[in-house]
Parts: sequence; structure tokens; C-alpha cells
Amino acid sequence: MFSSIYSAAVTGMEVVPVQVEADVSDGLPVFSMVGYVSSQVKETQDRVRTALHNKKLGLPAKRITVNLAPGDVRKEGTGYDLPVALCILTALGRIPGKYLQGVMAAGELGLDGRVKGIWGILPMVQKAREAGCQVCMVPRENEKEGRLIDNIRVVGVKDIAEAVEWLRQGRPMQDNKEPEHMESELERPEEAVDFSDIRGQEGAVRATLIAAAGMHNLLYIGSPGSGKSMMARRIPGILPPLAREESLELTKIYSIAGLLSKDHPVIQKRPFRCPHHTISPQALAGGGRSPRPGEITLAHNGVLFLDELPEFSRKSLEILRQPLEDRCVYISRVQGTYVFPAGCMLAAAMNPCACGYYPDLGRCRCTPSEVKRYLGKLSGPLLDRMDLCVDIREPTYAQMAQSSRGISSEELRKKVIRAQQIQEKRYQGTDIRFNSQLDGRSVEDYCIMTESSRQWMERIYTKLRLSPRAYHRIIKVSRTIADLDQSELIEEIHVQEAYGYRMAQGGVYDSIY
Amino acid sequence: MIRYIEKDHPAYPKRLRKLPGMPSHLYVNGCLPREEQPTVGIVGARRCTNYGKQTAREFARVFSDWGIQVVSGMAMGVDGESHRGALQGKTPTFAVLGCGVDICYPSCNGDLFGQIPAKGGILSEYPPGMPPVGRYFPARNRIISGLSDVLLVVEARRKSGSLITVDCALEQGKSVYAVPGRVTDPLSEGCNSLIAQGAGIALSPEVVLNELGLDTYKTKEKIGGGKKSKLSLARDLELVYSCIGFQPTDYETLIAQCGYPPGQVLAVLTELQLLGLVEEVGKNYYVRPSAK
Repeated sequence: MFSSIYSAAVTGMEVVPVQVEADVSDGLPVFSMVGYVSSQVKETQDRVRTALHNKKLGLPAKRITVNLAPGDVRKEGTGYDLPVALCILTALGRIPGKYLQGVMAAGELGLDGRVKGIWGILPMVQKAREAGCQVCMVPRENEKEGRLIDNIRVVGVKDIAEAVEWLRQGRPMQDNKEPEHMESELERPEEAVDFSDIRGQEGAVRATLIAAAGMHNLLYIGSPGSGKSMMARRIPGILPPLAREESLELTKIYSIAGLLSKDHPVIQKRPFRCPHHTISPQALAGGGRSPRPGEITLAHNGVLFLDELPEFSRKSLEILRQPLEDRCVYISRVQGTYVFPAGCMLAAAMNPCACGYYPDLGRCRCTPSEVKRYLGKLSGPLLDRMDLCVDIREPTYAQMAQSSRGISSEELRKKVIRAQQIQEKRYQGTDIRFNSQLDGRSVEDYCIMTESSRQWMERIYTKLRLSPRAYHRIIKVSRTIADLDQSELIEEIHVQEAYGYRMAQGGVYDSIY
Repeated sequence: MIRYIEKDHPAYPKRLRKLPGMPSHLYVNGCLPREEQPTVGIVGARRCTNYGKQTAREFARVFSDWGIQVVSGMAMGVDGESHRGALQGKTPTFAVLGCGVDICYPSCNGDLFGQIPAKGGILSEYPPGMPPVGRYFPARNRIISGLSDVLLVVEARRKSGSLITVDCALEQGKSVYAVPGRVTDPLSEGCNSLIAQGAGIALSPEVVLNELGLDTYKTKEKIGGGKKSKLSLARDLELVYSCIGFQPTDYETLIAQCGYPPGQVLAVLTELQLLGLVEEVGKNYYVRPSAK
């Protein structure tokens, strides 16, 4: 007898509905699986056979054929155990076939029949709703995650026997479960860290504020222990709270990456990812045979922080260039091209030299050539993508000891939100969301300067021989500074300040020795 | 063209001949210091501050204009700057190397390597082709001090190679002058302690010129920022400018000192840079530019 049920395959960020078909017929007792299945999926047959046996649902000595359609999409992962088991049982007539209609199932089986959690449930449930399914059967562990999607019934099952029983009874309504509501939990979770912990360092705080307001990429330069990482860790706290769509998008990414927590499977905080500098290019940008999201995707809508920037391998850093520009990562494989979102703000930190104290000649023990070599590790094109660059210096003792706290994250966030609202209004109906995304032409359209600031820019362009790219970067940053000031036009003082944050051409310290 | 000069050759410098421990021969690219003209050796830190560079250059230029031959080691930092200053003046300058005279070391001083032999000379006790090896460098210090009538130390740390040259000079009976610095600067520690031990205080080039018996009564040359600023700046510019000295000052310190909000300070700094009154030497480190 033949039966079928829906399941789903995750490819990149996309989900493809998969029809699981089973047929039980007379013949030699063979279990065969077809449909472009990876060896991971082939293992399903042993798990299913044993799990059913241990739940007193043992399979008869018959020929069992399982097909996963469409046959041209490669199937990976362990999520097909549950649908395959249910489908075989239906084919054997142990579950009425009509109850499998409109059901999508996914889950891994243990040998004792337990259903274990898998990754990617959220996008699967989303797809099930789009495909017109009424019920999603998922592991109990993933139930909360699945319930984030409205207008579809999500059933969490503990073991295969429970799943079978529920279907046999004709899918009764479960009474006790409230649908999971994101809004109820969308109150902003407390950030553990606050800007008011930072003493002094007003200049760096100001640069951080500007970067956050326009989602500009930011580079901190400073000696070890001066507070670069401390500052960066506080950036997510001054960004506006995640909107519902953003939160769902992030939860989807984390679901696919298998990084959601069981108890609280919603991402409500802006991510802050700080990979170690030994990270491989694939781990940073995403990759693998069937591509999985990398750190830059996990930092979507949040902050990707690269501490000790020059220590990262050249290859890892260069791979960031395209995603930073396009706000998404393209990964091409034989099967097709996968697109992962990568709309993050890049914050990076570095020491000014190998020993870390340059240009404090009292402590720095590097020779000029060593300083040059250290800075030379960063490629020009990558530095070009850093909109703001600021020095961080350790606060003086007096600043450390002062009892008054610095400006709080709360206050800074208000400023950021106001500036981002202005940007939202300005870029309505375009692809642009933040000032950092402006390109050469749109800079001219949206960055209107006063006469005096235009003249000033002309002076600086000719006198200091800026490149057109550097010129545009200064204007983009000054646009954000003007937005923070709630000024329609870009005034002279805005451009002047923006110029102070530029990355020196040809390196950080081009003119010292 | 490189010449080889033995100790008994008449061209061998008389200043060296009468001292013990001097090399038996010299290789020279260019010419040797003239016996009848006075010489001043200028030494100092390789990794020096802007102040050191500027002082070395200015002193050397004044000396050179007064007909004094400047002798140094063509190293990075103070040495190189003194040659540069001397080349601006009227008198030839001389470099003593720790490697072969046909090797330009450090390579960043390629300009000096080309210009010095045109009028002055590059000297070494090592044969041409000898690569720069660290342990040979201290040995050439005795030649620098030997060729100098007066030795001037511009910037030195507490444990500096320049102090080896000072020891040589004292053994050879030369007078030593040191440029004073701020007590907090690690790069002035060596000089200040030399002064404490009795070295001459090089308040200006004239002090050294007087030591050499030159009458500088009519000169009024001053060094560096001695000139009174006749600029009239806006109030905020003036305030920020006054907080910046010849040592690099960082952005955070300036914010703390001026009391303006950070953004405004940065804007003012940019304006000052555009006016050429301030240079950004490191990321957010600002300094008054040295007189060129």
C-alpha cells in the first residue's frame, strides 16, 4: 500500500517542501530509500526500524520502499526520521491515510522511539503554512519555536508512539497550549552592559554613537586594555529594539544554524558576534558543501565585532568585502547559488602596533618598520570600508575614580532611534535604509550641503588630495552627524567632524616616522 | 668613487690620528672633513619624537650655515634629521656608517645616501660590501666622536646607544652638550641626566657655536615655536590650539582639557589642520607641525 506525508528540506536560507512517500509490498524484506538522499539520511532506515520495534510497532518482513521527492534536491540532516516512520506505518494501514493529509512532519528518532529536536523548524513551519498545510508535527523540544508562526497548528510530540496515537485519534485539539506570542516577550530584554560603565573616552563614545546611528562600519585603535572590546560590546544596546519582522528573520537564521535555545527560542536582542581571529573564511562568511550561515549572517541586524583585526587571516578579511557592500552573502555551489542576509554593522578593534603602545614612545618598543609591517597587514580596500576610525585611550585615574557615571545606553539609544527615524523617512520607497548604504549617486541626491560646507569640502578635497571614495565617505558620515543634530542640511561643522573620523589614506599612521 | 686611506696616509684625519683605538684605515665615498673647519657631532635616538627631529634639523642647519661640518651616523631619527638639516646649510656634512660605504642603511635614508657624498662624505672602517650587522654599529660611535670637536646629544633614552658615543667623547676629551627636554619625556631622560652630570646645556645652537669660539653676538635666530604667533584665531580654535604642543596630544586629552563637546573638538581640529597649524600624526593624535 502507498502513502505520503510532507516534510521539508533546508537549502541555504530557503526551505523546499519534500514529499515523503512509502510503499510496502510483498517481496524480499528490504528497506530501500531513494530520492537523492545523502548518507546521513540513509541512516534513517536503521533508526526507524529499531525505534518502531522498541515501541512495539515493529515492521513486518516486507519490501519497504521510501522515496523523497523532488528527486533533484539533495536531502540532508536527520529530520526525515519522523515522517518516514509515520508514512510507513500509514502504508501498513496502522494509521488511517486521511489523517496524514495536510500534515508536515519533521524530527529525529532515537532508537528508543524518542523524537529529538532538529534545526530549521521555524522556516519549515513557515513554509508549511505557505504550502497550505494545516498541521505541523515537530519534536517537543522545537514546539515553542514552531508556535511563533500564526495560523497553523503546531504539535510537539515526545515519542513516535505519541505521534501515532494522536493521528489515530483523528488529530484531537490539544487544550492546554497557548500559542506562543512574540509580542508578549517583545519587551526589550535588559542588556547586561551599559554605556554608563564607561568613564571618560567621550570622543570614542561619540564616534560609536554616530556609527550606530548610520550603521557605519567602525574601527577602534588603542592600546591593550584601553576598552575597545568594552565599548564594542555596548553597541547592540544603543541600537533600536528589533522590529517583529527583524526578530523573525533572525530567529529563522538562528534556527537554521541550530543556535536557538530550547526554552526561549526567539531572538529578541540584536546579535553581537565576536569570532576569534583564528576563524576560517568559511566560518566567517558561511560555507560548507550544503552552505550554512557564517558569522556575518549570524550578526545580521546587529554587530559583527572583529577584535585584533590585523591578526585575522588575510583571506578571512578579504571575503568580507563583498558582503559588507551588498549586505548579503552569495555562496555558489554546483546545485545553485545560496543567498544569506548579511546586513550587519562591522566594528573592529586593533592595536596600533605589535606591542600595542605606539605612539606612546615611553612604552612602545617597536621599531618604525615593525609598526609599518603591523599596519600593513590590513589591506587598503578593507580599510576603505571603515567609515569611522577613532582612537581609544585609557582614561586617566581621575576619570576612573570619578563617581558620576557617563552617558547611559538609554540616552544614546534615544538619539540613535531619532536619527534612524529621520533616515527611514528620507529613504522611503528606496532600497536604502541607512546613510552607510548610500552610493556615489545617491550621495548627491540626499546629502544636501550648505554653501559654506561645500566650499570647505572643496578646500579640503584639493588641499589634502582626497580620493573620490574618501570624499563620499566623509559626506556619508557627515549626513549621519547632521541627522543626529536633526539638521536638514549638512553644515560645515558636520563635515569637519566627519573628516576627523576618516581613515588616513595609506594606513593609520602615514606620517609619523 | 670609494677611496681607501691608511693611517699613515696624509689625508687620514688628524683628529683621529692622535687618538688611541682608531681604525688603521678608512673607506671614504666623497671627501673627508676639512681639518681647519670646526666639526660638531650630533647623535640621538633613532625612534625620536617630533621635537627631537625638529631640534636636530634646526641645530644642524644653523651649524652648517655658520660653516661647521656636522658629523653623524645617518641612522633613522635624530642622525638622519641632522644630516638633512646640514644639507640645507652651506657646509658639507659627513656620515660614519657601521657597514660598507656602498650600502645604504637604513634604506629610508636613500636621499641622504645620494646627497651627502656630493659635497661631504660617507666614511666607514669596514670594506665595501660589508652588510649592516648590529654589533658593528656601536664601534663606529668612537669615530663619530673622534671626528667631532663638540658632541651634541639631541634625544636619548635612559639606556641609549647615543650614550656610548658620549662615553667615547669624554674619553677622547671632547666637550659634550645635551638638548634639555621635559622631565616626563622618556626620550629626554638620557639628555637631562647628562646635564645633571655636568654636560653643557644646548639651549640654542649659539651656545654650541660659542663653545667653538664663534661670535654669535648679532644673530637672533630662534628655534621652533619661539616665534610669536600673530594669527588671530576664533576663540574655540585658539583654545584647542593652545592645548596642542610639539608632542603628540590625543583626542581624549584635548576633550578633557578644552571642555567642548567631542564633536566640536574634532571639527576644530580639522579646521586647524586645514590651516596648517596642526598635523595629525597618528589616528587622533595631533601635534604642531615642525618648522620645515
